[in-house]
Amino acid sequence: MKNHRDSNRLLVRHLLLPTIFLTVALTGGLRVAAESGAFLFIAPPLVALVLSVLVMLLFARGGLVNLRAWFAGDHSPVTNVSHALTLLALFFASAQAFNSVLPERGLFRWMFAFFFLWTLWNNQFAAFEPRRLLRSLAALFGTAFVLKHMLLASLYAPEGGWLKQLAGALLEGFTQGTLGAAESFAPSTGYISFFTLALYVLGLVLVPPAPEIDDNDAAPGREAGSLVTRYGQLSPEERALLRTEILRTERGRLEDEIHATRTD
Amino acid sequence: MQPNLIKSAGVAWTILYAVFVVWIYATAPRTFTEATTGASVVAGTYAIDEARFRAARELFGREQYAAARDEWSRADPAARDARTQFYIAYAFYREGWGRVYNDDALFKQGLEAIERAIRLSPEGALAVDDPELKIRSAAELKAELQQGTESSLGDFDPLKIVRERK
Repeated sequence: MKNHRDSNRLLVRHLLLPTIFLTVALTGGLRVAAESGAFLFIAPPLVALVLSVLVMLLFARGGLVNLRAWFAGDHSPVTNVSHALTLLALFFASAQAFNSVLPERGLFRWMFAFFFLWTLWNNQFAAFEPRRLLRSLAALFGTAFVLKHMLLASLYAPEGGWLKQLAGALLEGFTQGTLGAAESFAPSTGYISFFTLALYVLGLVLVPPAPEIDDNDAAPGREAGSLVTRYGQLSPEERALLRTEILRTERGRLEDEIHATRTD
Repeated sequence: MQPNLIKSAGVAWTILYAVFVVWIYATAPRTFTEATTGASVVAGTYAIDEARFRAARELFGREQYAAARDEWSRADPAARDARTQFYIAYAFYREGWGRVYNDDALFKQGLEAIERAIRLSPEGALAVDDPELKIRSAAELKAELQQGTESSLGDFDPLKIVRERK
């Protein structure tokens, strides 16, 4: 049973995670032209790479990725290489996830980029634990998705009602076309973006903060060390819950150990 | 399953998939068909559609040059076959040739096609074994097309009208 569990963990970490993140990197820049239905592959812009660096720093600070546990001299070289490739895939997936929700041009693009930068920069100095960080990122991407693919797309849709079209025209008119939201992409672009973001968040959920020690990398006391690391990443409420549970199940043994230590 | 096997397979798969993603962004295929054609070129399994090629050759023989080019483009969607590109260039030459003056736009497109053909042929030497053609080597066709796009005093030669199309 344990063998299956270990194999599955390894498969998730070394095969599924890179696949998920590279798929996000592939579909994050994919748009479908409205008129011809042709694919358009948009490479991540510079601002998306900057945002990706910030989000990677946030992962490290927030405990979603414990770099000391991901890279260690005790790991086998192939483990370290695999982890490096996974994190590289995560970096490009993050860049493409931003690319997917950033408007293509104009003032809206810079407004979105500015708000992303502002939020991520502020988050660098906030206290985060992995779950809260995940929820925060899911909300950030969800909001940007709704704004770009639903609100803006609906405002500029050619088949929209006269009121919507009028609002879109007025918005563009007042800003002399600098808003730049009138993009000619097919509605399927929104579906692709939704799939991309869902896959990205799923990938983040599956990322282990500190990868478990593999059987062939195992050293005495490593698992205990890993548990202590993971304990440090829990929220205060979760830590209290864990202590209560340990006390409930291990109280007798702990008291015996304390008694034995005092007698010695 | 062996942990090392899983990890090695993971590393190999990640590198392969990453190369695929980079290739997709570098080539930017506009349709699934373009993507699969590109993949077959990379895999070395690309082959032109011979039936379409023959159909295009027949159209060429009937002087339906634009239709022939269209059909040849469909036979060789990735523009990777030197012989097909030679014929496309020849169709541009035939259509663009004029007794008094040549159509520069068609000749320029012909030049692009013949340069593609030369690039694709081994050592840049391409000869087509077609008895119905008067020009059978890529170098000769390129020279003919280049000559047609250049302006010279010979353009004012009245005897020019008696020259024949190759």
